[in-house]
Amino acid sequence: MDRRTFFIKSFGASVVAGAALAGKYENLFAAKDDSTKTPFDLVAVKGAEPDVMLQKGMEALGGMSTFVKKKQKVVIKPNIGWDVSPERAGDTNPKLIAEIVHQCRYAGASEVYVLDHTCDNWQRCYQNSGIESAVKNAGGKIAPAHTEGYYHEVSIPNGISLTKVKEHELILGADVFINVPILKNHGGARLTISMKNLMGNVWDRSYWHRTDLHQCIADFATFRKPTLNIVDAYNVMKQNGPRGVSVEDLVMMKSLLISTDMVAIDTAAAKLFGINPSDVRHIQLAADQKVGRMDLENLRIKRITV
Amino acid sequence: MRWLKKIRVTVAAGFCLAVSFIFLDFGNIAPSGLHTFLVSTQLVPSLLRTLILFSSASIGLFFVLFLTFLFGRVYCSTICPLGILQDVAIRIAKRVNRRRRFRFKKPFYKIHYVLFLFTVVFALAGSLILLNLFEPFSNYGRILSNLISPSIVLANNTLGNILGLFNLFFLFQIPLLHINFVSVIAPLSFLVLVLYLSYNYGRLFCNLLCPAGALLGLISRFSIFKIVIDENNCKECGLCERVCKANCINSDSKEIDFAACVGCFNCIEACPTVGMSYKGRWRKTSTILPIVNEGRRKVLKTSILPAIGLLLPEIGKNDSSKVNQSDFDESHKYPISPPGSISVAQFSNRCTACHLCVSSCPTQVLLPSFLDYGIAGIFQPKMNYAASYCNFDCVICGQVCPTGAILPLDLNVKKQVQIGKAHFAKDDCIVVTKKKDCGACSEHCPTKAVKMVPYEQRLVVPEVNDELCVGCGACEHACPVQPRKAIYVKGNLLHLIAKKPKSEKIEPSFDSKQDFPF
Repeated sequence: MDRRTFFIKSFGASVVAGAALAGKYENLFAAKDDSTKTPFDLVAVKGAEPDVMLQKGMEALGGMSTFVKKKQKVVIKPNIGWDVSPERAGDTNPKLIAEIVHQCRYAGASEVYVLDHTCDNWQRCYQNSGIESAVKNAGGKIAPAHTEGYYHEVSIPNGISLTKVKEHELILGADVFINVPILKNHGGARLTISMKNLMGNVWDRSYWHRTDLHQCIADFATFRKPTLNIVDAYNVMKQNGPRGVSVEDLVMMKSLLISTDMVAIDTAAAKLFGINPSDVRHIQLAADQKVGRMDLENLRIKRITV
Repeated sequence: MRWLKKIRVTVAAGFCLAVSFIFLDFGNIAPSGLHTFLVSTQLVPSLLRTLILFSSASIGLFFVLFLTFLFGRVYCSTICPLGILQDVAIRIAKRVNRRRRFRFKKPFYKIHYVLFLFTVVFALAGSLILLNLFEPFSNYGRILSNLISPSIVLANNTLGNILGLFNLFFLFQIPLLHINFVSVIAPLSFLVLVLYLSYNYGRLFCNLLCPAGALLGLISRFSIFKIVIDENNCKECGLCERVCKANCINSDSKEIDFAACVGCFNCIEACPTVGMSYKGRWRKTSTILPIVNEGRRKVLKTSILPAIGLLLPEIGKNDSSKVNQSDFDESHKYPISPPGSISVAQFSNRCTACHLCVSSCPTQVLLPSFLDYGIAGIFQPKMNYAASYCNFDCVICGQVCPTGAILPLDLNVKKQVQIGKAHFAKDDCIVVTKKKDCGACSEHCPTKAVKMVPYEQRLVVPEVNDELCVGCGACEHACPVQPRKAIYVKGNLLHLIAKKPKSEKIEPSFDSKQDFPF
């Protein structure tokens, strides 16, 4: 659904029934087919540039066309939270984003949007992270997400602390949603990986912090499963996260993880980082809420070294 | 010499549009050289800046002074944006009432120069209040950044919303953070006053209230070339007097008060013969009315000196050197001034509140204040962390400031300028009150002056390191505690230098040859 249909629908609804604007998106996702069959639950790649690792990893999953069909609208959600340069690895690697945009376009996507509700000034973040130019060069569109008007309320039926949230309209209307976090140390959430990255989909993050950060992260993970999660672990911020102070905070891991399961990919990323996954409370909570699986030993994992 | 008016109108349109553009430059597309050039030609800001920081931009000041020394106050009709705005109002008035004519009036020199004297004395004593109230460039700036700019933003947002229905996002939404009652009413009142005066009385503002007009008027008394009425060619038709918006031509006595003339050249254009022209002053054909003929000393004694007495204690209070830096509560009474302003007092003594920094600030953390700096610093901008926070990698305010109230800082220096210190109210923190992890403050901190340290159970709680804090307000802005934030910045009256953030290289515990740890 695009913004026009949303507008017409909500307008119609309010005229006919005088209904509140909230809650109109729910049926949309309930009906969505989530049965993409993949040969592996998790793909881990290491030893090359981000774009090369993505190519190798996606090959193992049958290519991007497994997830992106022709004429579909794709929204990619990197971490573009901070006004820092790409070397600082505070934001997702622009090379990786460019490659994802490229692959989606190649698979026949009608539109590929890239956005994030940034922490620092959005224009400076988009520009200085190198993501804006990378996306444009790859044929994608960069979309604004910095004012409340872009967000619409949805309820989270399985939420414990977080029961409703305002999410960005492009993500709500996307056919394919690709979550592309960068693995980092994080002051409040301990680690920021795929579930924490979804905090950039919503308008009011302050509520999460105020209420129970880990529980809210897990709650929002129950809302919708991203079509694909791709964790950038090329340069990993081991301390002073999530913004970082200098390049001294980084360790080069040259790794990349791909999965449709957020809990599995976060568990694997935590191990890669060197932390016991169950010490990151929201990973454990999400596993308890059946968002995904932490038992990596029982999953089909493809390990690739380039 | 009729071509003079055409040149005047062309140059005026160019200046007015260009100055307006730098105040409305939402996309930051103006080259920085344009800012520097334009503000360097604006008399009062350029004069203040030259007194504070002599630089290549001072050429603009000398150009304006020299121009006035040669040809009188042509500045007022070509370079001054507020003068040009008044000319537009005068032109509309003329359109509305074609029979409208100006008459020679004895200038209000006494009021104008006494006000000017007050302005100078107050400025020397440390308050720019009279400049803030009447200086033309700053007033024009406030009109643009507080009235015109928000109107354009509203139009943009409305149009952007409509385009958004068709999935077109090139017109993105712009948040409006700096709008409040005073920030709109104050420039609106001034605009109404100026338009009223110009619509009804021509350039009365420039010859009654304007400090730049007073200063240039003083210089133009000694101008080398002056506009005069040529007795031989004058047909005594009186047209020149009728079109003179400065009311400075007396066609009966064929005298022009050149100190009040704003150099619009309307008279030269209107003259049916060649009766009006510039002549060298050695011809001794022009007359200037004396400023104050009697009682000047009396005025000084009775009004100015007591007024200084009234003002001084007020300013003395703002003097940073007299306030104990360690007294947090004392310092929290004052607003936080932007990096590059050295101290709150110095900023307040140098800022004419043109709000160019407000309209240029990418994060909109710089917002207009009303009486936060006291009555002496009316309308001056301050850092507002409820609205936003200072971007760590940005030095734009110092680059655009026309007066030198915010000095340009090298980015690496700016990253260490401490304009305030974060103060952590632990008892109000989420981690302490709810026993839940949060960390929003530490997350946003660019120097990691706010760090998470182990707390009860497996929680982490913020800890502030004063030495690393630059007072950017990111922590305060991000803190989710309502209504009173659990971490907030208390301003430094005198800005300090923070320590460089520690950068300890971590041991690479990662072996790329090893297999995946799962």
